[in-house]
Amino acid sequence: MTRKEADMSFTRRAFVKTVGIGGAALFASRREAWAGLLQGAGAPRPARPLLLHNNENPLGPGEAVLESVRQALGQGGPAGRYPFEHVAHLHQAIAEKFGVGPENVTSGCGSTQVLRVAVQTFTSPAKPLVAGQLTYEECAGYADLIGTPVRAVPLDRAMKLDLDAMAEAAKGAGLVFLNNPNNPTATLLSGDAVDQFIDRVHSLAPDALVLIDEAYHDYVTDPSHRTQAARAVKDPRLVVARTFSKAHGMAGMRVGYAIGHPDTIKRLDWEGSMALNVAGLVAALASIKDQARLQRESARNTEARRFTIDWFSKAGFASTDSQTNFVFVDIKRPAKAFRDTCREQGVLVARDFPPLEKSHVRVSIGTLDEMKRATDVFGRILGVTARAA
Amino acid sequence: MPVSRRSFLGAISPGTAAYSPAIVAARGREAFTAGGAAPTPRSEAKILLDSNENPLGPGRAAMEALTRAFVDAGRYPTNARPSMGDLREAIARRNSVKPENVSMGSGSWELLRIAVRLYTSSSRPLVTAAPTFEMPEKMADQLGIGVRRVPVDKDGRLDLDAMAQAARWAGLVFLCNPNNPTSTLHPARAVADFIARVGQESPETAILVDEAYHDYVTDPGYATAVPLALEHPNVIVARTLSKAYGMAGMRVGYAIGQKHTIDNFNRWGITFNQNSLAVAAAIAALDDHAHIEAERARNTEARAFTTRIFKDLGFRVMDSQANFVFVDIGRPGKAFKEDCARRGILVGREFPPLEKTHARVSIGTIDEMQRAGVVIAEVLGGSRPTPAGLGNGARRPK
Repeated sequence: MTRKEADMSFTRRAFVKTVGIGGAALFASRREAWAGLLQGAGAPRPARPLLLHNNENPLGPGEAVLESVRQALGQGGPAGRYPFEHVAHLHQAIAEKFGVGPENVTSGCGSTQVLRVAVQTFTSPAKPLVAGQLTYEECAGYADLIGTPVRAVPLDRAMKLDLDAMAEAAKGAGLVFLNNPNNPTATLLSGDAVDQFIDRVHSLAPDALVLIDEAYHDYVTDPSHRTQAARAVKDPRLVVARTFSKAHGMAGMRVGYAIGHPDTIKRLDWEGSMALNVAGLVAALASIKDQARLQRESARNTEARRFTIDWFSKAGFASTDSQTNFVFVDIKRPAKAFRDTCREQGVLVARDFPPLEKSHVRVSIGTLDEMKRATDVFGRILGVTARAA
Repeated sequence: MPVSRRSFLGAISPGTAAYSPAIVAARGREAFTAGGAAPTPRSEAKILLDSNENPLGPGRAAMEALTRAFVDAGRYPTNARPSMGDLREAIARRNSVKPENVSMGSGSWELLRIAVRLYTSSSRPLVTAAPTFEMPEKMADQLGIGVRRVPVDKDGRLDLDAMAQAARWAGLVFLCNPNNPTSTLHPARAVADFIARVGQESPETAILVDEAYHDYVTDPGYATAVPLALEHPNVIVARTLSKAYGMAGMRVGYAIGQKHTIDNFNRWGITFNQNSLAVAAAIAALDDHAHIEAERARNTEARAFTTRIFKDLGFRVMDSQANFVFVDIGRPGKAFKEDCARRGILVGREFPPLEKTHARVSIGTIDEMQRAGVVIAEVLGGSRPTPAGLGNGARRPK
């Protein structure tokens, strides 16, 4: 998702009637009260479109996470302090989760900052970036800004990243970006395949850093999946990026991180930790310790994803094998017209993804209830209500 | 200037009684020390006078808005209600400019770094002061770009004449006004003349005016350079909510300039560089004019009190227009800093080329400054007389 896309998503007018939640609910901390807040129960807010365009977790962070923010910030004092130490605490907690040391961890304002800094520090006009042609664009976008050439490798026929072609393209490159599972195609590469790819890149391009973006890691259900974090801490030419924006439900909090070899992590500290805010740091610290909630979120997403894929399938539209919190569907027509009509009917779906914008659309997975409502709208637009029902 | 506890309290409206400095300071320390297993010196310190923060944090309106925004913590800040776009409008409203004139950063540091990117090159160096806020020169160093450092004058003021001369053929001039760490100010006329002169003598050179401490200025000769930024394509003003707005933890800064200039800044910003909760808090804070007025009054009193402590000890203090003082302590800042830290008071880092003689001390609450003053007097005092208000039994200066 790009900033431009998101900026266009909403207008101020759509929100102008926003009314605050009642004061008494503000400091509510009991489970029901939080559930009410998160579901908008009793909140006098205007109806909002279904937000199925940015791959967010529809439930947001857990109540315990937000409660920890409320407590940490108190009535304001700590919010006025630079959060240097919170950064250190978060790195320590992440290190413990992965069984590594804090020297193996760096963080950023979302994984976007981590990705940008990797491009900044490992590429140059003479050392290109290698990325899939259809993948998360943050790296390529930043490469364009700093004058780094981008070798965009087309997807293979299974709509997966073409690892052979990417390894070939890695010769002489500075950075190889691999989003696994891949956004927007939702597809996964097995742990073995990624391992072999890394070996191959290392032999063909000994200087290149391999950056694996595992933003959707917690949504994967395919047992062939393996994180590369354990290998990254030992391999100075491999780094893994993660984010709290997806399964942790904290897209608004802007916290991402990277796991890697201390030498690589040091280089990725190019901008320091000035972009990290205290609310996000406190929330991330609470969330990373709550593995049970992550598993519940993954199960919830898997069910809603299954429903959505099945619905499209029954309606005659094939999806890729999604291992994420979105589906990539061949709707056999241009995404733009579909998207515009969806928007008119209160459902936002993702922007165009060239070169597949004439046939495919990306739809994020909301709650099961949201997906039922959304597929009703899709059915009307695609003219398949009867069949799908 | 005498400062009494009563007049200090009087500066705060009854509605903000919950923000009693003692309560907030205690709460802040608890939060910090409770934070983790490996406390670092900052969380162990009793009083934080090292980072020019507002000791009280954000106002009540900001914190309430922040809590209300919890419901959208899972949404990207462009989708959250309020959104980043709403913050841009609030900033524009506060500064009487259009949203197209506003670029947001995760703190103003990001915008300072972008300015170095946009305007300097291997053949067009950065002009900055010595000492001043180091972020631009740090960025230039990282990019391998030349830096011309122009020493401040004997009163700690930016040497605008020398900086204008150094600006010829330069890419960017960094003008921090009031200047951190020297705390001194240039009045509106001097800044306008400087911009006009550089515009004439080196028309391609951009000027970034960092007004991080804008809201703490009390000198009537001061004015923001925002109108100049709207007039000149090569002039940008940077601001932050980390200082008077009390939101250093929230990471909100912005730049103001002409639309074309701002478009370039926007291209370079970190995607989604605002936290959704911070967006809500910042909008409320920007619209809470009374809170900023109260904070300025509070700081002004505590600043006068702090200045008096050092003067009573016999040290020269530069004329502060910020929320910190820069003091000629006549000895290396490092030893002073370490001696204070051992007693639980953190003061500012070293600022070359004045690190052998000067120290920067941020302004906390009057209560904090009184307690810090006792320590500072111990560390620096030797046989000097105890300043008024810090002696045995004297709770407050009269």
